[in-house]
Amino acid sequence: MNLWESLAARRLEYRTRRHFLHESLTGLGGFWLVQQAAANSELPAIDPARPTAPRRSHFAPKAKNVIYLHMAGSPSQLELFDYKPELNRLDGQDCPQEFLEGKRFAFIRGVPQLMGSLFPFHQTGQAGNWISDRLPRFEKWMDEACFIHTMQTDQFNHGPAQLLLHTGNQNLGYGSMGSWVTYGLGSENQDLPGFMVLVSGGHTPDAGKSVWGSGFLPSVYQGVQCRSEGDPVLFLSNPAGIDRQLRREIISAIARIDQQTYAEFGDPETVTRIAQYELAFRMQVSASDVLDLSQETAATHALYGTEPGKESLANNCLLARRLVERGVRFVQLFDWGWDSHGAGENEALNRGFKQKCEQMDRPVSALLTDLSQRGLLAETLVVWGGEFGRTPMRENRGGNVMTFKGRDHHPSAFTIWLAGGGVRPGFHYGQTDPIGYSPITQPVHPRDLHATILKLLGLDAKKLIYPSQGLNQKLVGVKEYRVVEEILG
Amino acid sequence: MIFRTLISVTVLSCVGLVDCWGEEPVVAEPVSFNAQIRPIFTKHCVACHGGVKQASGLSFIYRDKALGNGDSGAPAIVPGKPEQSYLIERVSSTDESDRMPPAEHGPALSAREIGLLRKWIEQGAHWELHWSFAPPKQPALPPVQESRWCRDELDHFVLAKIESVGLSPAEEATRAQWLRRVSFGLTGLPPTPDELQAFLTDSSAPAFEKVVDRLLASPRFGERWASLWLDLARYADTKGFERDPGRDVWPYRDWLIRALNADMPYDQFTIRQLAGDLLPDASLDDRLATTFHRNTQTNTEGGTDDEEFRTVAVLDRANTTWQVWQGITFGCTQCHSHPYDPIEHEEYYQFVAFFNNTRDCDVDEEYPVVAVPKLAADRERATRLDRELHQVESQVHEGVMKIATQGDTWQPLALASAQSTGSAEMRIESVEGHSELAVEGTISVHSKYTIETLPIDSKLRVQALRIDALPTDEADAMKNSELGFVVSRIKVFLVAADGKESELLIREVYSDESHPILNPDDSLDDNPDGWGEYPKVYGSHLAVFLFDEAVEVPAGSRLRLEIKQDRVTVGDHPLVIQRARFSISAAPAWRTLLDSEAHLAARQELKDLREERKKLGGPLIPVMVERPTESRRRQFVFTRGNWRDKDYEVSPGIPQLFGVQTKAPTRLEMAQWIAARENPLTARVQVNRIWEQLFGRGIVETVEDLGTSGTLPSHPELLDFLSVRFMDEQQWSLKQLLRSIVLSATFRQSSQTTPEHLAKDPQNRFLARGPRQRLRAEMIRDQALVLSGNLSDKMYGPPVKPPQPEGIWRSVYSGEGWETSSAPERYRRAVYIYWKRTSPYPSLMAFDATSREVCTARRIATNTPLQALVTLNDLAFLELAKGYAARMARLEGTTAQKIATGYCWATGHPPREEIVDRLVKLHDTAIKNHPTTRDALPEEEHFALTIVANALFNLDEVLTQ
Repeated sequence: MNLWESLAARRLEYRTRRHFLHESLTGLGGFWLVQQAAANSELPAIDPARPTAPRRSHFAPKAKNVIYLHMAGSPSQLELFDYKPELNRLDGQDCPQEFLEGKRFAFIRGVPQLMGSLFPFHQTGQAGNWISDRLPRFEKWMDEACFIHTMQTDQFNHGPAQLLLHTGNQNLGYGSMGSWVTYGLGSENQDLPGFMVLVSGGHTPDAGKSVWGSGFLPSVYQGVQCRSEGDPVLFLSNPAGIDRQLRREIISAIARIDQQTYAEFGDPETVTRIAQYELAFRMQVSASDVLDLSQETAATHALYGTEPGKESLANNCLLARRLVERGVRFVQLFDWGWDSHGAGENEALNRGFKQKCEQMDRPVSALLTDLSQRGLLAETLVVWGGEFGRTPMRENRGGNVMTFKGRDHHPSAFTIWLAGGGVRPGFHYGQTDPIGYSPITQPVHPRDLHATILKLLGLDAKKLIYPSQGLNQKLVGVKEYRVVEEILG
Repeated sequence: MIFRTLISVTVLSCVGLVDCWGEEPVVAEPVSFNAQIRPIFTKHCVACHGGVKQASGLSFIYRDKALGNGDSGAPAIVPGKPEQSYLIERVSSTDESDRMPPAEHGPALSAREIGLLRKWIEQGAHWELHWSFAPPKQPALPPVQESRWCRDELDHFVLAKIESVGLSPAEEATRAQWLRRVSFGLTGLPPTPDELQAFLTDSSAPAFEKVVDRLLASPRFGERWASLWLDLARYADTKGFERDPGRDVWPYRDWLIRALNADMPYDQFTIRQLAGDLLPDASLDDRLATTFHRNTQTNTEGGTDDEEFRTVAVLDRANTTWQVWQGITFGCTQCHSHPYDPIEHEEYYQFVAFFNNTRDCDVDEEYPVVAVPKLAADRERATRLDRELHQVESQVHEGVMKIATQGDTWQPLALASAQSTGSAEMRIESVEGHSELAVEGTISVHSKYTIETLPIDSKLRVQALRIDALPTDEADAMKNSELGFVVSRIKVFLVAADGKESELLIREVYSDESHPILNPDDSLDDNPDGWGEYPKVYGSHLAVFLFDEAVEVPAGSRLRLEIKQDRVTVGDHPLVIQRARFSISAAPAWRTLLDSEAHLAARQELKDLREERKKLGGPLIPVMVERPTESRRRQFVFTRGNWRDKDYEVSPGIPQLFGVQTKAPTRLEMAQWIAARENPLTARVQVNRIWEQLFGRGIVETVEDLGTSGTLPSHPELLDFLSVRFMDEQQWSLKQLLRSIVLSATFRQSSQTTPEHLAKDPQNRFLARGPRQRLRAEMIRDQALVLSGNLSDKMYGPPVKPPQPEGIWRSVYSGEGWETSSAPERYRRAVYIYWKRTSPYPSLMAFDATSREVCTARRIATNTPLQALVTLNDLAFLELAKGYAARMARLEGTTAQKIATGYCWATGHPPREEIVDRLVKLHDTAIKNHPTTRDALPEEEHFALTIVANALFNLDEVLTQ
C-alpha cells in the first residue's frame, strides 16, 4: 500500500463515524449567546460569528455614531477659541514665577515671556461667543457646537497624551475609545468594520497605531485604517488577475471544503471561519464602495474642497460622512501637523498654523453642514480637539529667542468642541484664568470626556467592562470620573 | 475562540472564584478554605475588606487581619466559635441596615455560603495560602478505570477527570494528524511529505519517539519557541513611542534561539536573562541575555523627561518579571496593595528596587551598550577582553582615587568671577567656607562657562585640578533626579599678575566612577563627550584633571577655566553644571603616579585592549549594567503609583508572602529565588504556558494570572505533577517536558468532536479530545513558505523585510523606510521579520500578533474577515501561492492528481474525491478566466494552479493544526 492509499484507508474509518454530523450550520451562534448570558449580564452579549453585530446600549442613546476629529500635535486654543484680552495686554512680559514653579515643560526653559494671541478675536453668532479670525467658515457653527474650555490632561508629551486621550491610559496596552465603543455596541453595518480610522497630514499620530488599537480587548475591535494610496483597506483588493467572479469561485470552493471539515471535526470555529470569509467577500465591495469618493457630486466636492487621489483632511471628512451614513459606529480622524512650537516655519503659529487652519476650516465646517443637511447630525456626535493645549508663554527652546513664534505643550488647559449627537448647542463649558493658563472652574479630564461620550452613546462608563489582568477594565480606568452633564442637550 | 475565552474569564473573575463545577450542597467533610471559603470572601467581602480598601481595619486577604480584632475590637472570626464570630452575626443579620455586605454593595450571602462559613469557623477557621502560593507537591496518581489508555503518568490525571465527568477519551488521532500537530507544536512548521512518508511507513515500536526526537533536535525548534518568548520579552526592532527609531537587539533573539536549541535548563535561562550581568565571571553571552529587560521602550520624543521614561521602563521590568515568571498581576500593586492577593503596596517598590539601579536612563543612544560579535569564538574573546579591561580600569582608577581621597590633598579655590555664554546667570557664593559657583535663570544650550579664581598660593607646585559638580538641591536630587551635565571640553589657563596667559595642558582625567560610560578623557578633545553624568544626576560627582607638568605659580597668578558643555537632551535641555566647587592639589604623589611604570603600562594596556575589542566588531546591544553601590539610586514608595509623588524609602526585597529570609538581596539573588526549586510559581507558570501552546488553553486558562483573580486550574494535580517532574526528574529541561507531553495519550487523541463532547464540554476543558487550534500568526506565514518551496533555513542575523504593502511606515520625524528584502532573505521564517512597534508587519498583526510594546502573556486568537483578506489577497501570500503552484505543476499526472498531492502537502492527508472535484472545478474556472491580456501573469496552467493554491492557503484545515 502506498502512502496515499494507506492514508485514504484510515480516513474511511473516520467517515463511518460521521453519522452524528449534520450539514446544518445554524444554531451555533445561539449556543454561544446562551453561554454568554449565563456568564455575566453586564458584559455585551457577543455572537462569535458576528462579533460586531449591533448590541443594546445600557440606556437610550442620543448619538448613534461618533466622528472624532483629532488634530494631532495640538492646536493652540489661544489662537482659536479661548479669548484672553489680559494675555494680550501682558504680551512680552516675563511669565510670573508662580506659573513656573513645580511645572515641567517640554521645551520651555527658565523664564519665558507671555505672548498674546497672534490673531484678533471677535464675537459671533446669536450668543455672541468669541472666536478668532482663523476659522471664517466654522464660525457659522458657533451656535451649534458645544465647547469645553477646561480640558486638562496629565501628560505633556504627544505620545503619552494621545494615548491618555484615546485609551484612558498614558501607557501602551489599553483599548482605544473606538474599540471600547464597538465592543460595547457593535456596529450597524456588518459589511464594514465597526471602527474605521482616517489619517491625514502625512504621518500617523505620534503614539502610532496604538491610539486606535484594541489593547487587551479582542483584536476584532481595533480600528481599521483606511488608506489614501493603494488598497483603501489593507489587502482589500483582489490581486491582479483575480476578478470578483473568480474570487467568488475561490471562496465558494473554500466554503464547500470547510463545510466538510466541519462535518468531520465538528469544530464551531470552522463555522465562524466560513462566515468570516463571506463577510470578507462582501466587505471587498462595500468598503471599496464606501471609500470611493467619485460617487459624490461636484457640489459636495466643492463644499469640502476635496482633492481626489490625495491624502487630505478634506477627503477624510467626506469619507467620514460616507462611513457614518452606512452605519459605521466610530470614525476616527487624525490630522497631523498642529504642533506649533515655532521651531521651524511649518511649526510657526504665524506660518504653518495659519495654513493648517485654512486646510481644516473648510472641510470640518462642510462635514457639519453635510451631516446636518442629510439629517445625520442629530445622531452623529462630532468631536474636535488635540491631546493638550498650548502655553500662554512663547516657547524659548534651548533657552534662546526663536526666529518663529510658537507655544509649548500645555496640559493644564485646552479647548475642545463637540457637535450634534445630543450635545447642548452653542454652550460654553468652563472658564480659564485671565491668561488661559489654568481652569478656574472645574476641569474636565479625558476620562470625564470618555464617560460623557459613552453616555451620549447610551453606555454607562462604569458598566462597560472587560475582564483582564485580574480587573474589570474600563475605558475610564479606576480613578474617579464624572459625566459632564452640563453639556448634554 | 476569543469568545470562549472571554466567557470563561468572565465567569471566574466577575462571579468570583466559585469552583468551576457549580454549587454543591454543604457536606460534613472538612471545609476547604481555598475551594470554598476564599471564593466567598472574594465575591462578597474583599471589595471593601481587601487589599485596596481595608474598611474598619479588616481584610479578608491577610490571615492576621481577618483573624484579628479590626478597629472595632470585636474579633470577626473566633476559630471554633461561630456564634462569637462577628462575621457570622453580620452576614446573617436580617436587619438591612446591619447586614454585610450592605445592600448597595451587593446581595446577601446565600444560606449555603453562610453555612459554609459557619462550618469552617467551627472546624477551627484554618487559613490556607492561595493554591499557587504553596509549593507544588508531588500528587499520587489517581485511580482510573481504563489505565491501559495511559501512556505517560500525566494521562492518569487527565483520564481521572474525563471519567469523573462521564466522558471517555477520543480515539487516537491518525498518524498524519498527530504528526501535523506535533510538528507545528515543536517546530512551528508542517511536516514535509518525506517526513510524513517516513513516519507512516515506520512500523518500529518507537516510531513516535523517533519523530519527537527528530523535531526536538531540529534547529527549527528554537525558532518556534523563541517566537513565543519574544512576545513575553516585548522584543522589537524599534525603540517605540513617537519616532519609533530602529534599534539593534537581534543578537538577543539569536541568543534566545541558541539557548532554546541547546535546551538550557529553565532555571539557568531565567537567571541569565534577569541577572546574567551579575553572575561571577559573566560571559558576553550572559550579558547579552539581560537584553531581555532592555527591550523596554526608549522614548526619543523631543521634550520628554528621561527620568520619567526610565521609571516607566523600571516599573515595566518589575511587572514583566512577575508576569513572565510568576504569573501574577503584580502591576496592580503599583498604586495600592493588591486587591486580591496578599501583596502590599510597599512590597511593589521593594521589588522595583531590584531594577532601579541599572545605568540605562532612556537616552537615545540606549547606553549602556556592548558590542556583540557574530561568531561564538569572537564572543568568547570579547568576554576575556572585557574582563581584562574592567580589571585594568579598576586598578588605574583605584590608584587615582587613593590620592584624591586623602584628606590633605586639596586646597579650595576662591572664585573671583564667572560668566556664561547665552542667558544663564552665574553667581559666586561662599558655602561652608568654600567658594561655590551657582548657575541660574534661563540656561542656553551649549553654554560655555569662563571662571576666574582669585590669586592662588605661589608656594604651590600645582599638579591637579578638581571639580565637584553638585546638584541644585542635593537632598532632593536623590529622590527626584536633576538634569545631568557633560564637560565637553575644558581648558585651564594660568593668568599672571601682568595679565600674561599660558595654557596648562591636562594629561588625564578621572571621574569618581571607575567605569564611566563616557570617557572623561574626552573632555580634552573637541567632541561633545567627556566627564559627566548623563542625562540625569542623583547626587554630587567629582573629577580630577591631572596636569601634564607640575605648574609653578608666580606670585599674584590666577587660574582661568573655560568649560564647554555641548551635550543636550532630546528636548534641547542643556546638560550643564548647575553648581560647582573647585580645588587644586600640589600633592607630589600625583607626579609619582603619572610617571610610574605601572601606571604608564596600565594606560597603554587599556588603549590596546580597547582597540583589540573594537576590532571584534558587532552591533552595539543595550544590556543591563548595575550602577556602583556607592552611587546606588534610592527607591521610594510612589504615593498612589505616581512617580513624582515619592513617599518613604524602601530597600530591595521579595514580598513577605514568599517567606524569603535573605537580607538586602541583590538582583542576582532575586533571580536565583525565582529560579529556585522552592519558588511555588515558576515551574507552574512555565508548564502551564507550554500546555497552553500545545492544547490551545492552559491548565489554568488565565496563563497570565495564577493569582486569586485568575481562573482555577482545571486539573490542579496535573499541574503540580508536571511542575514537580519538570523541576526534579526533568531538571528544568524544556525539551524533556515537551517530549513527555506530546507523547502522552492525551495529546495523541483525535480532535474530532462528537455532539456529546460538545454539549458536555464545549471548550474541551476535560481534554476528552485532542486539541484543534488555529495556527499562530508566524506559523501561517511559515507554512506558506514551506508550501511554496521557498523557505530559507538561514538562521540568525539582522531582521528581514519581506514584501508588505506600500506606505505602511509613516512614523513622524523618521526617514526610515521599508526596503523589501530580496530572495532568499524575504523567504526567511517570520521570527526574523523586522518588528516595528508602531507599525508591525500587518499580515502578522491580522492574526493576533501583538505590537510588542509591552509583555504579552497570551495571544487571544480571533477569527475575522480581515484575516481572510490577508491570506486571500496579500501579495506576499500570492507570491508564495505561485511557488506552491509551480511545485504542483512540476508533478507527473493529471490535474486532479497534481491538486490532490498539493492538498496533501498542505494538510498531511489525501483529499476525498469531492474535494478534488471541487478544486478541479475551481482550476477549470480559472483557466477560463485567465486574463490573457495581462503579460505579467504566469501562463494559463500555472495561473489556474495558483488560484487553487490561493484556495488551499485559506482552508480551515490548513489554517489549523
